[in-house]
Amino acid sequence: MNDWPHRFETELVRLGLQPERAHRLSVETAAQAGEHAADPDHFFGPAHLYARHLVAELRVSTFEEKRAEAGRVMLRLAGVTKRYRRRTVLAGVDLTVRGGEVAAIVGANGCGKSTLLRICAGLTAPTSGTVQRIRRVGFVPQDGGTAGWLTADEHFTLFGAAAGIAPRKARSTGAHLASLLAWRPTAAQPVQELSGGTRQKLNLVLGELHGPDLLLLDEPYQGFDQGSYLDFWRQVHVWRDAGRAVVVVTHLLHELQHVDHVLDLGGAA
Amino acid sequence: MTPRPWLHGFLDLCLLAMLRERPDYGYGLAQRLAAAGVADIPGGTLYPALLRLEQQGLASPSWGPSESGPRRKYYAITPAGLDALSAQADEWRGFRDGVDALIGEHVR
Amino acid sequence: MTALVVAELSAREVGRRRVAILLVISLPLWFYLVRRDLTGQSTRMLMTGIAWAVSTLTLFVVNSARGVDPRLRISGASTAGIVGGRLIAMSGFGALLAGGYFALVAIDQDIDRAWAVALLMLITALIAVPFGSLVGALLPRELEGALALFSVCAVQMLADPAGTVAKFLPFWSGREIGTYAIDGAATDLLWRGLAHGVLVWTLCTGLTLAIFARRLRLERYPEPDPEPQGIH
Repeated sequence: MNDWPHRFETELVRLGLQPERAHRLSVETAAQAGEHAADPDHFFGPAHLYARHLVAELRVSTFEEKRAEAGRVMLRLAGVTKRYRRRTVLAGVDLTVRGGEVAAIVGANGCGKSTLLRICAGLTAPTSGTVQRIRRVGFVPQDGGTAGWLTADEHFTLFGAAAGIAPRKARSTGAHLASLLAWRPTAAQPVQELSGGTRQKLNLVLGELHGPDLLLLDEPYQGFDQGSYLDFWRQVHVWRDAGRAVVVVTHLLHELQHVDHVLDLGGAA
Repeated sequence: MTPRPWLHGFLDLCLLAMLRERPDYGYGLAQRLAAAGVADIPGGTLYPALLRLEQQGLASPSWGPSESGPRRKYYAITPAGLDALSAQADEWRGFRDGVDALIGEHVR
Repeated sequence: MTALVVAELSAREVGRRRVAILLVISLPLWFYLVRRDLTGQSTRMLMTGIAWAVSTLTLFVVNSARGVDPRLRISGASTAGIVGGRLIAMSGFGALLAGGYFALVAIDQDIDRAWAVALLMLITALIAVPFGSLVGALLPRELEGALALFSVCAVQMLADPAGTVAKFLPFWSGREIGTYAIDGAATDLLWRGLAHGVLVWTLCTGLTLAIFARRLRLERYPEPDPEPQGIH
C-alpha cells in the first residue's frame, strides 16, 4: 500500500509530533519495512495504530521513570447519587479522571459499580449530582453486548458503521486490536461458538474500535486465562501511556497498585 | 522462544549488548536475536525500542549504504549506552541468579 | 449508511438461524393447506399465517439485539439508524415471504384480481414488521411478546370482519382488500383497506421509534470544565 507512509505521518502529526520529526519517522519506518522486504501495512499493521503505538513507546522513554503528566480532565463526577424508588444505590460519588490515568472502581457485589459505569457511559441518568465528560467514549459491559450469530469481522463492520468508519478500515482496525490481545479472529465462526474469554476480547475490541479518549470497562477480563489477563493489563497501560483515560470496574485488589485512583464504593447498598 | 512479556524487560539490554560488539541496523539485529535463540522479534517491537535508545542517547544513529535498496540506519552504542549496559547487565545477573536459586539445581 | 449496514447484518444473522427460518417460512403454509378447497378462507388464513410469522420473527430480532443496541449508540449510531435498519431487513424478508406465497396462491387458486391478492399479502407482511417490533418494544421478554402476538392473530382470525372490534385490529386492512380481491367487492373496500394499512403501519413504526428513542437515549453530558489553575 503506497499511501501507508503518508497516513502514518498524518497520524503522527495529529498525535502532536513536530511535522519534520513525523516526516523523518515516516521515511525511516518505510525503510525499515523495506529491510525486511515487507509491505508496511503487513509489517507494522494499520498506519494509524502503529503511529499510536510508536508515540506511546517514545513518550514512555521521554519520562523514563516517572510517567507522563496527567492530561486534561476526561471525566468528572461530583456528588453523583442514584436512587431506584426508595433504594439508594449510589450516594455522593466524586471522581475525576484525566488523560493518562487509570481509575479503578471497587466494592462488594451489588454496591453499584456497574450502575456507576452506566452513568458514566450515559446509559443511565443520575438522580442528582453532575457529570462532565468528553464526548468520545468506549464502553465494555460485563457480559452480552454482542450478537451471537454474527462473526467477529461482522461485529467490526457493524460497530465501525455506527462510528462512521468504512467497513474495510473497521475490519483491519479490529483485527489489529485483536492481535494486541493475542487473538486472531477466525473468519466464519459465529460469536456464540467462541469461548467466554475470547468473547470478552471481542467486547474489548468493540469498545475501542472507534478510538475513544475515555474507556469504561466493567470487569472485562472474566474468562481470561493468565496470559490474556496480562495482555489486558498491558493494554490498559498502553492506553494510559497514549494519553487516554481508563475507568475499570474490578474486584481484583492486587491490581490496584497499577492504577492512579481507587474509588471504593464499599459494601452492598 | 521466549514469551514476550519476559523479553519486554530485557530487550534494551539485549540490543545494547549486540551494539557493543559492533554497530548494526534493524534487520541485522533482528537476525542476531533470532540466531541467538532469544526471540523472533516483531518489527513493531524492535524499531520503537531502537528509537527509544536513540532518544535516550544510549545509541547514536548514522546512515550507511546497502548493497541493495535504500540506505540503512546503523546504530552505534554511546558512552552513556555502555554505562546503561553494564548497569542493566548487573541487574540481569542478579535477577537470573535469584531465579536460578529459586528454581534450584534439581529442577531441570 | 448505518441503517443499511445494520439491515444487511440483521438479514445475515436471521439467515443463519436455519431451523427457525424454516419453521417461520412453513408456518403460513399449514394455515393455507387447512382450507385449501375454499379460495377465500384459505387466502385469509394464509394472510394470518404470514402476519404471525413475520411479526414473531421481527419480535425475536428486535429482542435479541437488546445487548448490542446501546453499545452501537455509544459508538455513535442514531436510534433511527439502528431500529430503521432492523425494520428494513425484516421488511425485505416479509416481502420475499409474501411474494413466495402469492406465487403459490396464483398457481393453486382461481382468482380474478390476482394483483390485489399480491397487494394484500405484501401489505400484511409490511405491517407485521413494525407491529412485531412494537410488541417487542412493549413486552421485552420473548415468551410474553410471542403470546401477545398469538392472541392478536387469533382474535384477528375469529373476529367478525364487519364488527367494530375488527377495525381496531392491525391486519383488518388485509381482510378488506381480500374481500375486494376474492369476493369481487366494490373498490371502496380496497381504498378503505389501504388507508387502514397505511395508518397502522405509520402508527406502529412511529411508536416503535418513539419507544426505542426513549430506551436508547444517551445522557448528554457537558465537556469537563477547563482546569482550575494550581490545583492538581
